[in-house]
Amino acid sequence: MTVTPTTMTATPTIDVETRGLTKIFAARHGTARITALENVSLAIRRGEFVSIVGASGCGKTTFLRILAGLETEYEGSITLDGLRIDGPGPDKGVVFQDHRLLPWLTVGENIGFGLLDLPKTEQRERIRKYLRLVGLQGFERAWPAQLSGGMAQRAAIARALVSKPRILLLDEPLGALDALTRVYMQRELEKIWTREKITMVMVTHDVEEALYLSDTVVLMSARPGRIKKITPVHLARPRDRENPVFQNLKKELLVEFGLRAKSLFSYEI
Amino acid sequence: MSTATDTTDTTDATDDDANATTAPSSPSFGGRSRRNLPRLRHLRRLRHLRNLPRLRRLALQSLLPVALLIAWYLLTRFALVERIFLPTPASVGEAFVKLLLTDNLLNDFQISAITVLKGFGAGAGIGLVVGMATGLSRTVEDLLGPLLNGIRQVPTLAWLPLIILWMGAGDLGKTVLIAKAVFFPVFLNTLQGIRGTPREYIEVGRIFDYGRLRLLRRIVLPSALPGIFVGLRFGAGISWTVLIVAEMLGARRGLGFLIMRAQELLHSDQLFMLIVIIGVVGFAIDAGLRRIEARLLRWKRGFEG
Repeated sequence: MTVTPTTMTATPTIDVETRGLTKIFAARHGTARITALENVSLAIRRGEFVSIVGASGCGKTTFLRILAGLETEYEGSITLDGLRIDGPGPDKGVVFQDHRLLPWLTVGENIGFGLLDLPKTEQRERIRKYLRLVGLQGFERAWPAQLSGGMAQRAAIARALVSKPRILLLDEPLGALDALTRVYMQRELEKIWTREKITMVMVTHDVEEALYLSDTVVLMSARPGRIKKITPVHLARPRDRENPVFQNLKKELLVEFGLRAKSLFSYEI
Repeated sequence: MSTATDTTDTTDATDDDANATTAPSSPSFGGRSRRNLPRLRHLRRLRHLRNLPRLRRLALQSLLPVALLIAWYLLTRFALVERIFLPTPASVGEAFVKLLLTDNLLNDFQISAITVLKGFGAGAGIGLVVGMATGLSRTVEDLLGPLLNGIRQVPTLAWLPLIILWMGAGDLGKTVLIAKAVFFPVFLNTLQGIRGTPREYIEVGRIFDYGRLRLLRRIVLPSALPGIFVGLRFGAGISWTVLIVAEMLGARRGLGFLIMRAQELLHSDQLFMLIVIIGVVGFAIDAGLRRIEARLLRWKRGFEG
């Protein structure tokens, strides 16, 4: 399955391509094996915003970790810009659900985490630039412990972007935030995406968030993790959540979710 | 307690203030990011009152020691206890002056202090290096683990006769004994600290292509530092204790030797004085280490009671 662009007529440049991606976790004891991903094939265009949604356990985080190069044992192929992904590196920025800022470095030092090989002046310049991009100017010398959840996540996004990666991978980046901050951060994320013109792949369990941000929403089913449905979203940005088309898409996706949830939560006596 | 937490308090406050003044409250992130600013303003307004809680703490901390002093004075003032068991505070003060002026107390003190510094430095240094090597490599752990664990089971002072036999009752023997005593807490806590580095942080390093050295310097060591300091402080306390005991058992100089001499000569006033000196020095060593710790771990904010 590939995501075929319908609106763009120019030949789309494929950034990430996976073919028959399968990942099996062997349990430590015994012979139990868990198929986290089964035959996942997906193509992501350069500059595209793709969301992967699905119930927990559907392998969406595993997929992202393979993209990031953090999991290196899998079957099938996965390429970034035509090159096989076989390890993490600065061409792939990652934002985790927990911000993972290092508590012993200041916010500025955290953002400059991947810039150590640059001259000091350039480091400082880039840190400033990205602090501004995420609206944290003035917090360069604060400790991560002094930031609110939303601010810390913004710093994490800046840290991932500062080394100018080709692709930004977001693993439920807003999952730990309260509802209001979340909506606000979704807007910020969209702004950053527009400004940086970078490919983004986001894992989320929030269908509305996915629809608000993505060009394409990939729905996955659990055990084994498979692509169930690919939904292109052709709505003008910034998107209106009350728009009937938006609402319809949301309903459709939730139905897929709902069926799954029904079988999960109903039990026999 | 006061020194360490007080320094943290003040550094925090200045950091906060710096934020408050330099942050040009960007309009782009709404009210939420400024959430901690009202608290800062509140802090600043109270700045002139900040000495009040500090004084209160100081009073609380000195309450028991002062009460003890008064009790001591009263007990001797009304001769409720025999002089030989409990000398008067004044005579202990006199003993101090006498020790200082005629008995070269400073000289003995210096000898003890240098021995402790040497032993502590050696033990802590080796403990850090071996702890780091063991923490980073399972091979080193398998190689050294069993032997070190065996040695650890034998109390430090049980080694004393053997060490005296091999190295004499001089400086070297004591230094080695102290180093051995300091080694284990530092080694074990460094090892634990390194092994306790969260996997999540290591992953962050991997994402940015960090090599082994950079990973160690920027992620593993800072993460292990709180544990390492537990070991260092514990080791410092032990080193002082071991020194005094070692000097009591076999030495012709040093504070421990003075204690034994005072006992033999029934100079209970000197005995008291020496105990106070040893206690104060130990206290000072720990306070100094706590200051360094508070400075290096200023990013850390725990439960403050």
